[in-house]
Amino acid sequence: MKKRAVAVALLAAASVALTGCSASTTSSGTAAAACAPSTGKVDLTFTTWVPGMEDAVAVWNKANPDIQVKVQTGPNGNGGTYQNFFNQLKAGNAPDLGQIEYDALPNFRVQDGLTDLAACAGVLDAKKDFVDWTWGQVNFGEDNAVYAIPQDAGPMAMFYRADLFKANNIAIPTTWAEYTAAAEKIRATGGYITNFSQSDINQFAGLVWQAGGTWFKNDGTNWTVNLTDPTTAKVAAYWQDLIDRDLVSTNPPWTDEWNNAYNTGSDWTWNSAAWGANSIASGAPDTAGKWAVAESPQWAAGDKASGNWGGSSTAVFKGSKHPYEAAKFALWLNTSDEALTLLNKSANLYPAAKSGLELPALKAGVDFYGGQAIYDVFSKASSQVSPDFVWGPTMTQTYNDVSDGFKAAVTKKGTLIDALKTGQTATIAAMTAQSIPVNK
Amino acid sequence: MSASTARFTDVPGDTRTARRLAGRPGPRPAKPRVQHKRAILIFVLPFGALFSLFYLVPIGYAIYESLLVIKREGTFGAATEVFGGLSQYVLVFQNGPFWQSVGRVLAFGAVQVPIMLGLALLFALLLDSPLVRGKKFFRLAFFVPYAVPGVIAAIMWGYLYSPNLSPFSAVTQNINFLSADLVLWAIANVVTWVYVGYNMLIIYSALLAIPTELYEAARLDGAGQLRIAWSVKIPLIMPAIVLTAIFSIIGTLQLLAEPQVFRSFSSAVTSTFTPNLTVYTTSSIPNVNLAAAFSVVLALATFVLSFTFLKFTQRKEAQ
Repeated sequence: MKKRAVAVALLAAASVALTGCSASTTSSGTAAAACAPSTGKVDLTFTTWVPGMEDAVAVWNKANPDIQVKVQTGPNGNGGTYQNFFNQLKAGNAPDLGQIEYDALPNFRVQDGLTDLAACAGVLDAKKDFVDWTWGQVNFGEDNAVYAIPQDAGPMAMFYRADLFKANNIAIPTTWAEYTAAAEKIRATGGYITNFSQSDINQFAGLVWQAGGTWFKNDGTNWTVNLTDPTTAKVAAYWQDLIDRDLVSTNPPWTDEWNNAYNTGSDWTWNSAAWGANSIASGAPDTAGKWAVAESPQWAAGDKASGNWGGSSTAVFKGSKHPYEAAKFALWLNTSDEALTLLNKSANLYPAAKSGLELPALKAGVDFYGGQAIYDVFSKASSQVSPDFVWGPTMTQTYNDVSDGFKAAVTKKGTLIDALKTGQTATIAAMTAQSIPVNK
Repeated sequence: MSASTARFTDVPGDTRTARRLAGRPGPRPAKPRVQHKRAILIFVLPFGALFSLFYLVPIGYAIYESLLVIKREGTFGAATEVFGGLSQYVLVFQNGPFWQSVGRVLAFGAVQVPIMLGLALLFALLLDSPLVRGKKFFRLAFFVPYAVPGVIAAIMWGYLYSPNLSPFSAVTQNINFLSADLVLWAIANVVTWVYVGYNMLIIYSALLAIPTELYEAARLDGAGQLRIAWSVKIPLIMPAIVLTAIFSIIGTLQLLAEPQVFRSFSSAVTSTFTPNLTVYTTSSIPNVNLAAAFSVVLALATFVLSFTFLKFTQRKEAQ
């Protein structure tokens, strides 16, 4: 037994020595490297979870025999793809291109996973082609840096069951106070005004965004974390009240139970983003034609503010041998009318490109929503999204910790604000653990 | 998945574990002198190479990673991994949710393992008894759940538990199996369902190895089937039962797939519900160094627990 233990220890020591060389230090990514075209045929890999991306890429591949893109699909970002990206980056075999939501970009940048595309042809000039706040998300406010190409945005509005509101003679709420009043009336009919999501912390962030709050600041040297500012506390208290009075359902989101609540008409509204149009249509098919979209309820009557939930970019990972070609493809994917039309059709993506907002597909009525031209509402919302919301560098962790607390809150074992306080402490601890400078 | 976490995703009763532990016999007389050393070496080499590559090297890498800390300059400054001594381990021991999750799986194991092994033993004895008909059918029927991947089993049971959509919604609307009070035991039920058949098969094959003369002798002494089971079969298959118990202890501490699936549809399953889920969550930050430290501590705890159990049962046998 003893001999064996010694042998094991020796082997373990040897393996540490062997693997030691693979854990090299990561290089700095501040200076934009030169971005020259490669010679010959180039093959690129692109990992995404957007449904129908293959179709858009097929159009590109047909027109560009020398730059062939291969699509790999995975679960949505926080559902596992980001973790794969981080692992691949560490192992040095990341794909050339990846789908990354705006809220995760700082995390990838802190991990030195993104290629600065500023030197690549046409990238800096593309700034004018995109909705201002989306460009702010990919250049981190720096003039000569571009860490990803914006793809879509998630301006928020209120999806609601037009038929049920009408049949029960309840006015469509335009303020959050009216929303509460409507919730009471709806509860009296046996339904719920909406479902409070215990794990879509980015949706909650969108509601805070609309209210004018922001969770993170970055002054160039230090981060400031503020998950519990008065604005956030106000939003948390608002939803806590609805939870306490059983005016909202609390099904775990993205489950069959959740779909069922919408499909059977038990839940009446959803404060969601443009891409949510696709989620309702696929999750609640029996309700086709009964939905409509209105602007988000406001905190004060007459306000014009919208939040944003999601929206993503196409990033080129560190280690890609063909940043020039990758950037060229990413620009085409996110600005060309044909790609944006295809992505809107398959995934209801709402383009971040200004030209995309003028697409005929975005002007037409949508049958599932009773023929309403729903993107008119999102277009208006998009122009009302504050450009000042900043994401932190460890959002996956922040979401996990706040979600653990929100789960406790919906089971009446805590409150939303408790969850945010815990999230605040945990986020600062997680940043400290990685030597990310943070004000405590 | 990084090498450091791959080792800990073994499911309970994993066959690799089985092979490794099966080769370790109990107490025995002094070894004879080893002959044919070179031949043994050649036979062991393929196993040894793969074992090192997929087992020892990842463990070594995890230990190595766990000794590093990240240093960087400025907001988006470049990160460097520097030697940090045992500082990650200090964080592990300060981490409340991790130790809560360890306590949770220990409670889980204390209840679930005896129930599962009790059922496995009962089924194995029934299959081995001359009184039961249709043995082949039952042997397969009990074993079939093990052929269902753990994730699929969890999704299926999650559906059965769901309050409104379950085919048994009359029950699930009144008893919420996904609530904080019950979800651990709902998961225990899934794990039991999957692994009873597997453990049954190990115990059953041990039963088949018992020479029939022993039964004959017992019968001549006037023992009935129950008495034979209790006084002859169970003592003789004790090593197999101990083996399944050790697999189960290891499996319990490494619970991942089932709680990971349940996390999406239960409000009670947090991102740190089990130790392995904590490791997974930590590595997704990504904080691989702390995740590696969690893994190493968990591996040591598993080793200590399994070894203590083995020693304890061996001493009992010796008495």
